[in-house]
Amino acid sequence: MPSCFLSLQQWLDTLNRKLCVVVSWFTLLMALLTLLIVVLRYGFGTGWIAMQESVLYLHAAVFLLGAAHTLKADEHVRVDIYYRKMRAKRKALVNLGGTLLLALPVNIFIFMMSWDYVVDSWQLLESSQQSGGLPAVFILKSFILVFAATMTLQNIAEALAAFGNVTQEQVA
Amino acid sequence: MEYMSLLLFLAVCGVLLLGYPVAYSLAGTALIFAGVGIATGNFEVAYLQTIPNRLFGIMNNQTLLAVPLFVFMGITLEKSKVAENLLTSISALFGRFNGGLALAVILVGMLLAASTGIVGATVVTMGLLSLPSMLKRGYDPAFAAGSIAATGTLGQIIPPSIALVILGDVLSSAFQQAQLDMGIFSPESVSVGDLFVGAIVPGVLLVAMYILYVVGKSFLDKSAVGVAVDSGSEKPDVKQILSALLPPLSLILVVLGSILGGYATPTEASGVGACGALVIAITRKQLSFSRLREIMLNTTKVTSMVFLILIGASIFSVVFRGYGGEELIESVFASLPGGTFSAILLVMVVIFLLGFILDFIEITFVVVPIVGPVLLAMGVDPVWLGIMIAVNLQTSFLTPPFGFALFYLRGVAPESVKTSQIYKGVIPFIIMQILLLVCLAIWPELVTWLPAKVYG
Repeated sequence: MPSCFLSLQQWLDTLNRKLCVVVSWFTLLMALLTLLIVVLRYGFGTGWIAMQESVLYLHAAVFLLGAAHTLKADEHVRVDIYYRKMRAKRKALVNLGGTLLLALPVNIFIFMMSWDYVVDSWQLLESSQQSGGLPAVFILKSFILVFAATMTLQNIAEALAAFGNVTQEQVA
Repeated sequence: MEYMSLLLFLAVCGVLLLGYPVAYSLAGTALIFAGVGIATGNFEVAYLQTIPNRLFGIMNNQTLLAVPLFVFMGITLEKSKVAENLLTSISALFGRFNGGLALAVILVGMLLAASTGIVGATVVTMGLLSLPSMLKRGYDPAFAAGSIAATGTLGQIIPPSIALVILGDVLSSAFQQAQLDMGIFSPESVSVGDLFVGAIVPGVLLVAMYILYVVGKSFLDKSAVGVAVDSGSEKPDVKQILSALLPPLSLILVVLGSILGGYATPTEASGVGACGALVIAITRKQLSFSRLREIMLNTTKVTSMVFLILIGASIFSVVFRGYGGEELIESVFASLPGGTFSAILLVMVVIFLLGFILDFIEITFVVVPIVGPVLLAMGVDPVWLGIMIAVNLQTSFLTPPFGFALFYLRGVAPESVKTSQIYKGVIPFIIMQILLLVCLAIWPELVTWLPAKVYG
């Protein structure tokens, strides 16, 4: 594989890993915020909608933006009855085919389908439906596009890696 | 075009077996079907246009917030070696009796199920720690392996379990939809809390059956449980046992108690539980900065994994519905002789079989939204249905040759334990599971009585 492809793949992997490390802090933040909400409600009889919504925002960021690195780490569930027993080259073939025929179309589709949906929200600078909620629904909705984009990039990295494995073993 | 939905389902099963990640196998195959349908004029593009809004619905789901927080709590407890401490101290306590180690495995398994709730981790921990010492004492390998695998699956059913959170959320929207379809416009609701409460009696019954079996076996078949070692001089240290037992036990009490007492929603309780787990880890001096980062990163990956499946499954179900899949299922159920009973039996058999290749999460997100509204519209109690599905899947995870728990155990069991012995050892436990399912089917009150008492 030409070295420029290899460095592209490594660059994409690193990008998504860093993103995942950043959002992983949000899990701790979610736990602490939820505790705070409980203490405020049951201890002091008070609370803010905005605070509850911020936990939702953090949660959305965690699972949407952490998904790409999870793909790289191979921690998305597979049905591995047969996959487990395959040789490395067969596995690479499954991953190459799956990335090109299943994952890439889905991610590009989500991106294109959601584009107008998100742009509409930005034009309104859409705010929470609840009074006292966060005035940033357009940012929340943008996570969908970021998700589809990072997944697409990770798919490119995965396809390159799988392609490398398929061709490499033929030489060896 | 209804047969297209059936074809889609079969195609998805085929693609899944190739082994590409489930979420994209579901969504990608569905998208290909939708594309073909649009090109040939058999599928409305309008269905696909609902997808962004569905994704936003997932992001806005308050109930599912409990998933990352319970995962956080479980991983924190796992990394702070709560399981190891519990196993060593309780084994020391019971190890002096015949069959004591097996009893310890079941009791610890129950506690772990209620605190960490991670099936794979429980089986692996106990397989690594308890199995070797049981074998050394001369336990029958089949009996030892069976108890460990079976106890490990309790995490699915004993609340607060992540599986029940997911199931509760999916069932509640299925229940709403069923009532709207029936023309009830002020629908009743069912919550994760209902499911937690409903799972308690069946969960306790199951543990009781396990214990009875282990104790009975130790009395009747002395050769299965080896020799009890009376270590005489080293009496179990009460202080050590308490320090191992009290923190996770009080965490369980706080989390479950606040939900059952109606003080907190499962989401709130999960946040408190996650922070409580951190406190336990800190007081045990098990929380370094690098371990915290590991916990957070693992939580993020598990959460992404769960929700990516939800995203994939919702794209799948949009296309499945678009092709009239729901009408197809309705007409199949309606044409079954024996009405509701055979419809439920059919669903249970299908779920059991799917449990061989799919995990709890996939089945809940894919199958329950499709069959749930139809079954609930036939008058089935949602909480009862949820618990039946949970126990059923738990059984499926234990059943050779494809049960997940068996794979986990095989991965860590010593070579000397034959795979056939593991299979043989779980059979009594499978029988107990099926017995429980039959009991729940005959007496639905076992599930519905406690929620009615608690929530009136």
